[in-house]
Amino acid sequence: MLTIKAGENVIKKAVGVLKSGGLVIYPTETLYGVGVDATNPKAVKKLSEYKNRPLGKPYSIAVSDIKMAEEYAGLNETAKNLYKEFLPGPLTIISKGKHKVSPGIESEDETIGIRIPDYKLVTDIVKELGRPITSTSANASYKKPPYKINDILENLSQKQKDLIDLIIDAGALPKNDPSTVVDTTLDDPVTLRRGEIKFSENNQVLSRSEENTQNVAKEIWQKYEGHIGKRAIVFALEGEMGAGKTQFTKGLARAMGIMELVTSPTFALENEYREGKNELFHFDAWRLEKSDEMVALGFPDLIRNKSIVSIEWAERVADTIHEFDDEAIVIWIKIELGKNENERLISWGVKQ
Amino acid sequence: MKILAIDTSCDETATAVTENTKILSNTVWSQASLHAKFGGVMPSLAQRMHEEHIDWVINRAMTNAKCQMINIDCIAVTVGPGLSIALGVGIAKAKELSKKYNKKLIAVNHLEGHILSSLANNKYSAGDIKYPALGLVISGGNTLLIKINKIGEYQTLAQTTDDALGEALDKSTRMLGLGYPGGAILEKLARGGDKNVYSLPIPISGQESRKIFTYSGLKTAMNRLVESEKPLTKEKIYNLAASFQDTAFTHLTRVISYVIRNSEYGAGSLLVGGGVSANIELRKRLRKLGKQFNMKVLFPYSKKLTGDNAAMIGIAAFFKAQRGEFAEIGKIDRDPRAKL
Repeated sequence: MLTIKAGENVIKKAVGVLKSGGLVIYPTETLYGVGVDATNPKAVKKLSEYKNRPLGKPYSIAVSDIKMAEEYAGLNETAKNLYKEFLPGPLTIISKGKHKVSPGIESEDETIGIRIPDYKLVTDIVKELGRPITSTSANASYKKPPYKINDILENLSQKQKDLIDLIIDAGALPKNDPSTVVDTTLDDPVTLRRGEIKFSENNQVLSRSEENTQNVAKEIWQKYEGHIGKRAIVFALEGEMGAGKTQFTKGLARAMGIMELVTSPTFALENEYREGKNELFHFDAWRLEKSDEMVALGFPDLIRNKSIVSIEWAERVADTIHEFDDEAIVIWIKIELGKNENERLISWGVKQ
Repeated sequence: MKILAIDTSCDETATAVTENTKILSNTVWSQASLHAKFGGVMPSLAQRMHEEHIDWVINRAMTNAKCQMINIDCIAVTVGPGLSIALGVGIAKAKELSKKYNKKLIAVNHLEGHILSSLANNKYSAGDIKYPALGLVISGGNTLLIKINKIGEYQTLAQTTDDALGEALDKSTRMLGLGYPGGAILEKLARGGDKNVYSLPIPISGQESRKIFTYSGLKTAMNRLVESEKPLTKEKIYNLAASFQDTAFTHLTRVISYVIRNSEYGAGSLLVGGGVSANIELRKRLRKLGKQFNMKVLFPYSKKLTGDNAAMIGIAAFFKAQRGEFAEIGKIDRDPRAKL
């Protein structure tokens, strides 16, 4: 273990250590970080031993600029926006990985966290190395966040200390918060098929208020409630943020005689409401990353049990809904913003 | 009393060892620590991850607390609200340990954990609470104001009818093209913006007597405003963030003010918990509210206690144990939509 002060020749030394698979403790604008060459599997394994955490937990990486980021991750508009506005800076941005780093860096669902530290020494090292280094805090898992070298060393075993090849000591760092993490992958375009749904002009109404939207739901419900007990009834809701998908479901619940308060299921993914023998299963697919996650949430069983289901952001899981087109009555509902503040254009259709 | 607490209500596998209201260890395994909390999730993966990590996280909590099972008096576990398949993992583990080591079980409501999180590490003691008190849970999944007659006796006064406050903050950040979740970024941006450049409608302004929280209308107004301001510049983004945060918080404090002003009992203390309670600007406003109504406002001592964690579950369990509220191993079950 070699400790050097931040200063001359540091970059050269650090790059040398990293190239030979070594482990470097380095300062950033937030905390002390620990870096290894993110493309060297042996080095990444060494890092896992140092951090003393089992495999399966991803590490974020530091790159020198957006160009390098694009080599390792697919950046969508949201990500590019964030890079432009906030990097370099204390922000870690999650994107879809391109699998060009060693195993253990990307998450199980193949995403990767990238940051550009607002600390020239680090970006210079990365630039010189020509590939990303890991950017995780230098403490062992579940120990105090490190603002000075002693914070780190005090909490390490001798075995862990032996894994350090180089420490770049910049003294006590200002106590800035660790970097904030933002996921941009939810904004990736959804490429699922809704199927052949005809939204005819006859099945279109203008709603002028939330109350109105709830009443439209009631009217649509009355058209299909005859199927209760014979087949599952699925209301597949599409519409942008704030369109009124939850309002629509409130109307459904009320029409079914459910008195309980219906709220957004975004966080819980699924809410269940019961009143006597009436049951409504209310899903939100917005945070789901894959269509077949609806299976894990028990959607096929609900269809089999001839349940009544409402799904917000249904287009995100259209593939899975589609599989039950014959078994269930699937009503697609599209809610679009109208010209005036409270106006909504609501159209609906079923597979022909 | 030493309690091993387990919480798997959502994305995090959390365990803790507490002694009364003191935290001996508090361990959280984020589904992917670097992944944005409450960002995209895969429920099947979440369940498998909880199953894979729970033993490791329990061992870690025990080691950090310098504790062995023989020193543990009870096992506490969150039964809801939360994601059903995730809750099941924690409950199954708690049952298994309870049987194996012959420990009493305590079923805890996640919301009660948040309510009592300010008592952690004796930053405040239970004796500091003046009754009747108010409890406020503000997080990604809940926005809830309750009356606390005493610890363990709660009554809902107001709750959200659509989105939770944290959810609304996250979603508005996404409208600004800044990813998800963005509550923390929004807070940073808002500090640099001017909240008076734009005017967003304060939800149910003048109708606070309805005693609800609602963010759907504000969300729509924000969507329209953002669309009309496109292309967005950095300055616009800062000002929009400031405006949205200001409006969302104003609505929150107005409803709380209304409730206090129109209650027969007043409120001696306000206990605040949940992820959004880490927001500095909101803390400022709630403290101001406290001054106005001569009410002590209690916040958790650390950010580790505002997000989801098991230490708060251990603390809530301690008070339940004192009241003799233990769960029968055969009867304990998940309750995804548990109420207080």
